[in-house]
Parts: sequence; C-alpha cells; structure tokens
Amino acid sequence: MSEFLGVLRWITVNIFGEASILIGLIVLLGLVLQGKPLADIVSGTLKGILGFLIIGAGAGIIVSALLIFQPIWTEVFGLSSMSLTNIIGQVHFTERYGSSVTIAIAGGFALNLLLARLTCFKYIYLTGHMMFWTTMIFAGVMVNSNPAISGLQLTLMLTVIMGLYWTLQPALVQPWVRKITGNDNVALGHTSASVALLGALFGQIFAANKISSEDIKVPKKLGFLRDSNVVTALTMSLLFFIGTFILQIKGTPKAAEILVQSGDLSFYIYALKQSLMFTGGIAVVLLGVRMFIGEMVPAFNGIGSRLVPGAKPALDCPILFNFAPNAVVLGFVGAFVGSLLWLTLIGRYTGYVFIPSMIVIFFHAGTAGVFGNITGGYKGALLAGFITSTVVAWGQYFCVNYFISNTIPDTALWAGDSDMFVLAPLIAALTRLLTF
Amino acid sequence: MKILTVCGLGMGSSLILKMNVESVLKQQGIQASVEHMDVSSAASANADLVITNAELVDNLRHLSCPVVIVNNYIDSKEIAQALEQAGILTRGA
Repeated sequence: MSEFLGVLRWITVNIFGEASILIGLIVLLGLVLQGKPLADIVSGTLKGILGFLIIGAGAGIIVSALLIFQPIWTEVFGLSSMSLTNIIGQVHFTERYGSSVTIAIAGGFALNLLLARLTCFKYIYLTGHMMFWTTMIFAGVMVNSNPAISGLQLTLMLTVIMGLYWTLQPALVQPWVRKITGNDNVALGHTSASVALLGALFGQIFAANKISSEDIKVPKKLGFLRDSNVVTALTMSLLFFIGTFILQIKGTPKAAEILVQSGDLSFYIYALKQSLMFTGGIAVVLLGVRMFIGEMVPAFNGIGSRLVPGAKPALDCPILFNFAPNAVVLGFVGAFVGSLLWLTLIGRYTGYVFIPSMIVIFFHAGTAGVFGNITGGYKGALLAGFITSTVVAWGQYFCVNYFISNTIPDTALWAGDSDMFVLAPLIAALTRLLTF
Repeated sequence: MKILTVCGLGMGSSLILKMNVESVLKQQGIQASVEHMDVSSAASANADLVITNAELVDNLRHLSCPVVIVNNYIDSKEIAQALEQAGILTRGA
C-alpha cells in the first residue's frame, strides 16, 4: 500500500506538479488521438515541452527590461509607484499554478465542445495562444483574490469560467462578424471582443453618410506597422528616450542615481539596448507559445470537428483584417495616440506607469477598427482605436493595482488585454464568493 | 518541399492556414512540411514557397522563393488556387 502511495506521490509531483511535462502529455494525447505516426508524436511532444520552457526564459528577459523602464517613468512623474520586486512573478507562478492553468485549458476546451454540442452557440474556440494567456491571467486574478485557494478549486473554477467564455464570446460578436465577412462560416475567437463591441456601438455616432475606411487613401508607408517586433522596438525606444531626456533635465538625486546605471555607456545607447531586450523577450515568449500551441490546436481542431459537426471555428482576429485593411491601420493610429495620452495622464495623476503593449494595442485596436468601420466608416475606426487604448490603459491600471497585484502583474503589463481587464473584477468577485 | 504560412505574429491565423494547406495537400497526395511563422522571422527564412495575405506580401517580396497570397485562410478553394499558381498543384486538380 505504501508503495502505491509512493507511486501516486511521484506522479503528483513529477507530472501534475510540473506544468511542462503535463503540457507534453496533453500534446501527446492529442497526437495519438489524431493517429499521427510515431516520429511526429515524439517530435510534437518534445516541441510542446520545449515551447513551454522557452516562455519562462522570455518572461525573465521582459521583466529585467521593465525593471529599468519603470523607475525612469516613475521619477519623470516624481511619484512612487508599484514595484515589480515583491510579487510571485511569472516564473514562480508557473511553477506553482502552471498545472492548474494547463488542465483548465484542456478542461475549458472540453466544456466549450460540450456547450457547442448541446446549445445553439455552435462555436469552437481555436485561438490557442489566447486560450493560454487568458487562462493564465485569470488564474493570476483568482490566486490574487484568494491566496489560499486550493489547486483543485482553482482548476475547477477556471475550467468552468474558460469554457463559458470561449463559448459565449464568439456568439456575442457574431452579428457584426457576419456583416464584416458577408457570411456565417467563421467566428471571432479573440479577447478583443469587448473593444470590438464598443467600437461598433460608438461607431454609430458617425453612421450618417459614413465613408468606409476602404474608400480613403491610407499611406502605403505604414506597412511596417504590420510587424509587431518593429513597432514594439520603436515605441519602447521612443518612451525610453523621452524618459531619459526628462530625467537629464530634472537632475534630481534620484534621476542621477538612475542615469548612473549605464556605466560608461551613454544612457541613450543603454536605453536603446533595453528597449530591444524587451522586444526580444516578447519575441522569445512568442516563439515558445508558438511551439506548444502549434502542437495543441490541430489536435483540438481534429477532436472538435469530429465531436461537434457543423460548428463554426472561432479564430484569431487577423482573419477579419483582410476585409478592411485600412480600418486596421486607422484603429491602430487612434489607439497609439490614445496610449500616449493616457500614459501621460495616468502617470501624472496616479503615479502608475502604463506600459502600452504594442501587440495588444495593434491587434485589439485593429479589430475594433474593423468593427467601428462597419458602423461608422473611417471615423468610427479611429474612434474605436481610441476607445481600445482607453480600455487597455485604464484596465491595466486597475488590474495591475487591484486585481493581480501580488501574483503576475509582470505578465499583465504586456499580455493582459481588453476582455481580461473587463472581466477581472467579475472573476475576482466570483473567487471571493465561491472559494473558501 | 517546405512551405511557410505567415501572419503578423505567427500565432493564430497562420496556424489555421497551415492546417488548411496541409489538408489540401493531403487530399492531393502531395508530401510537404508546412510551418507557420511570424513576418519578422519569415523575412529571413528558407522555404520553397511562402503563403501569406495581401497585407503582408510586401514585407516578403524580397524572398527568393515564390510568395503567393491567400486572403481567406479557411477557403480551401482559394488555397488550392494559390498552390496551383505556385505550380505545386496541377490545374484542375
């Protein structure tokens, strides 16, 4: 008997306690279910685990750059702000709660299939990387609300929340998706749904004799905006440079202390390097996510299409971008201007340093722009972008300060986005209500 | 033969495109390894064919391999046409 308990403990520690191995097992199961050849099963499983481990490495790089970025801007506004040093942090959080997150992704997907099978909401959520981030951030919010939450409670609640969200979110925006795509074959499965809805609603302000964004000329030169690495690097460098310049003018003792960190290097060169380190960190995380999601989604798709025939796939937001490419750019422009405005205002009046995550801004504002364009033409697209920056900036402020402050604010700063911020208060309240 | 499917982040839509390209190729009995990728990485990648959308095609024109456009990632007809254009499928297949 004690041997049996020993085996059970070994499994608990080594498989359910180690998220990367658990991911590997889920990928393995998916590949076996698809009847893949052995070589594909082995390489797929290993890539799944490898991808998951790479994410942790990238998260470390991002935080090290943010630890330099934040003090600069905090000093610019002359206030004291949150610190990223006494939190659980992404790396430790994954070690402790990664298994719950992993099981909740698989369980939530199963619930999504069940609901699609039984209800009239026939949508199968297939945006794997968003499944990962949303579940991770919601787990961060829940552990933040109740630090004593048991692994079992966390896993069960997360599973139900994710399953419901992945089923209802595509259904909520489908009326507009039908208008955008002109058919009913495909749905939007993306956390920009809240700003997309707001964009479509507020776009109606300009409904009278609207001019579609596709009928106006948007400079071709804005093509580089489509490469998120470039935009992230440019924005961070710009913000680092402005911050450095202001510190040099201020010349306070604290400013001098920050500026001395660069040693012999010019602080501008040092700041440029940090901006690119931040961008590189994000690129590393995305590489990791791509590796393990790339193994998971085809498995989910295979299982889903077999179990729920006739369901619509809910896919990533760029599937809508081709229907109104100009609206995407206009949405981004509106959000970019909005982000800089909110960065200044929120910093000035609350001391919180808003990190305008360009990946979030681009994809969310782009989606909102397409929705805003449907109801309000190019003006609607611009406004939808501005609304996106407002939701993301204030959402990040409230989420990082109140809903995820002790767990993974480091991740929420760059991966937290519209729906996550909008739902965070609800998730926090539910956790306090239902767990013990 | 190596085919790349490319979108902005190389996460969601290029993966969907990859899955659909694979199923079109499978129907025709053509062997190929299909990978999905972000536009930054694809700009310096080696492949026999790159498939992307009209938005990103200008960022990849400099590649030495053919670059074809598919705008609707779940339309197997459009995917088949793009593969025909690249000379991978024979016409009327």
